[in-house]
Parts: sequence; C-alpha cells; structure tokens
Amino acid sequence: MNPMEEMRREEEKLLRTDRLPHVWCPGCGIGITLNAFLRAFIRSKIDPNKLVVVSGIGCTGRAAGYVNVDSFHTTHGRGIPFAVGIKFARPDLNVVVFSGDGDLFAIGGNHFVNAARRNHDLLVIAVNNFTYGMTGGQHGPTTPTGAYTTTTPYGNPDRPFNIPHLAISLGAPYVARWTTYHVNQIQNSIYHALHKKGFRVIEVISQCPTVYGRRNDMKTPLEMMHYFQKNSVRKDDASFEELELSYNGKIVVGVFRDVQGIPTYEERYEDIIRRAKK
Amino acid sequence: MSEQKSMPPKKRGKVTIDEKRCKGCWYCIEYCPTKVLKVSEHLNEKGYHPPELVEEPPSKVCIACHLCELYCPDFAIVVEEIK
Repeated sequence: MNPMEEMRREEEKLLRTDRLPHVWCPGCGIGITLNAFLRAFIRSKIDPNKLVVVSGIGCTGRAAGYVNVDSFHTTHGRGIPFAVGIKFARPDLNVVVFSGDGDLFAIGGNHFVNAARRNHDLLVIAVNNFTYGMTGGQHGPTTPTGAYTTTTPYGNPDRPFNIPHLAISLGAPYVARWTTYHVNQIQNSIYHALHKKGFRVIEVISQCPTVYGRRNDMKTPLEMMHYFQKNSVRKDDASFEELELSYNGKIVVGVFRDVQGIPTYEERYEDIIRRAKK
Repeated sequence: MSEQKSMPPKKRGKVTIDEKRCKGCWYCIEYCPTKVLKVSEHLNEKGYHPPELVEEPPSKVCIACHLCELYCPDFAIVVEEIK
C-alpha cells in the first residue's frame, strides 16, 4: 500500500473517530496541528502504548480528548506539572504536552519557565492563536501589541510573549516556530523533536478566525491563512528582536535552536539516586 | 551538458470527502495545486458547503499530492492513489 494511504489509515486508528466532528470552529488551526502531530508520530514508529498526550484547558486542551492513546485533560495551566509527574513515574513513556498559549503561558507560565529551566524530558507543542478562544476572545499574554480583542477594543497596549526567545533563554534544547500554513514543516519538526531528549518547544502559530480574525480584518479562515502565507519568513538564525511578533507584521519561522547533550532532569535525578545509594 | 532527468511517474489520485466531518473552511480548495475541488451547492447536515470534485475536464486531475489531506483541520479528506 502507498505510504500516505497507510498513514491515513493509521491516523484513523489514533483518533477517537466516534467523537468527530470535533468542537473546533471551521478553519481552526488546532485540527491542522493535531493532524501534523499524529502523522509525525506515525512516521516515528513509536509504539502508541508508549505515548501520553497531556493538555490543559482551552480550545487546544480538547486535543487530548480526540487522540486514541493515553491522554490527560488536566486543570487549567497544569499540563506541564502533570506531564512531569508522568515522566517521573514512567520514564519509558514519551510525554507530549499539547496545549494552547493561554494555558501554557498565562496561568501555566511559571510551570513552563521552571520546567524549561530544569530541562524536563517533555515535548511541548504550544498552539498560539493570540487569544483566549474558548472564553470569547479576551486578550492574553501572546496577543500582539495593538490587536483588537473583546477586552481591548481600542487596541492591546501590552507586549506579547516572545516564546522562542523565552525558551532559548531558559536553555531548551529544541525550539522551533511554525505557522499552520507550514503543514509539512510542522510535521517534520515534530518528527525530529520526538527523537530528541530534553525540553523541546514547538510553537505553532494558529488562526482563530472566529474570535481573533473577525476583530482584526481577517474574517474568514482563508484570510488568516493568507496572512500567514504572505508574512512568514524562514530565518533559523534570527535575532531575539526579530522573533518578536508584531501586529500584522512579519512572522519569523524556523528551527531556532537544536542542540544535543544537555542532561535532562530525569537523567540528573537518576544520577543522584545512584550516588545516594552508594 | 544538460542531464536528462527522468520524469517522475505520473500519479493520479482519488479524493474522498467525508461530508459529515467537513466544516467548510475550504483550505483544500485554495491549496489544491491542480484545482480539482470546488465549493458545492448543497449543504451537509451541519449546514456547511463541503467541497466537491469539479466536472472532469482533462486538465484538472488529482495528482495525489495529499496536500488537501494535510490542510484539512477536520480529518475529512482521504486521497487514494489509483494505478
């Protein structure tokens, strides 16, 4: 059988098809990201019994409910702490945190910072749609300066989080950013990250036409996709200033950091246990 | 000088759309390189216009690139390669 058809068939097995169609709005980028993640996972040939998908609350948090592997739908912002616990209890599992920007960087921001600092062996897929979609489009910590949301009707005065910069400064060994326009690149990036160790962060800029695009002159899903298509620039050695997202400005995408050999927290902990037992 | 590159074998595909899952975002129609899909006039049970295949002019054939499958956020498209 053709490998792509084989993959599609495998993908159906990894989805809880009885729960489809899913709750995400027409044209939501989370579906594209989940699709890319499942395909990358199938390509990696990892046993599905060795995969755990953890997600928090929010639109992206629903992803854990659609995958037919062991998954956790945790409390708000606590996807990473739950994942750390799973990894500690069962170091043989591949733990993936699939969550949104509001969950990972607003209420769970401190968990993200400290897990990255300690280099826990987790893969974090952060779907960044610039807003709190599920609760009605309030501004969040990743909303670009000047963007219009329900709580910033005259434009957002805050600066957004620069997620790749944050992750790199904390020493995360794999940091990448893509938009949902880059379907193949997201898939390849997740595929490579699944074979690495340490705190791997992949930010996927996703469209939210329903509550974000509507207020920012991108009413249809296709208009948001065209915005990503026109404005994304691949630059792997981008400076920290270039990585910052601006309102309707360029989106720098690429793999910004890919290093090996940084010991993970789990490895260092094993080492301590070994030394204490002597 | 110029190397004669052998052309890759011509692939042809068959697109199947699961209309129950479709939510009418039309990414598949936009990003299809050979434009074999178009917006249909009928509605699915959720009230969206799913894509449908264009009437078969010989220039518009599915080349089994699977891009619509990758772009579909609703897991609603399957492309099968036909020999």
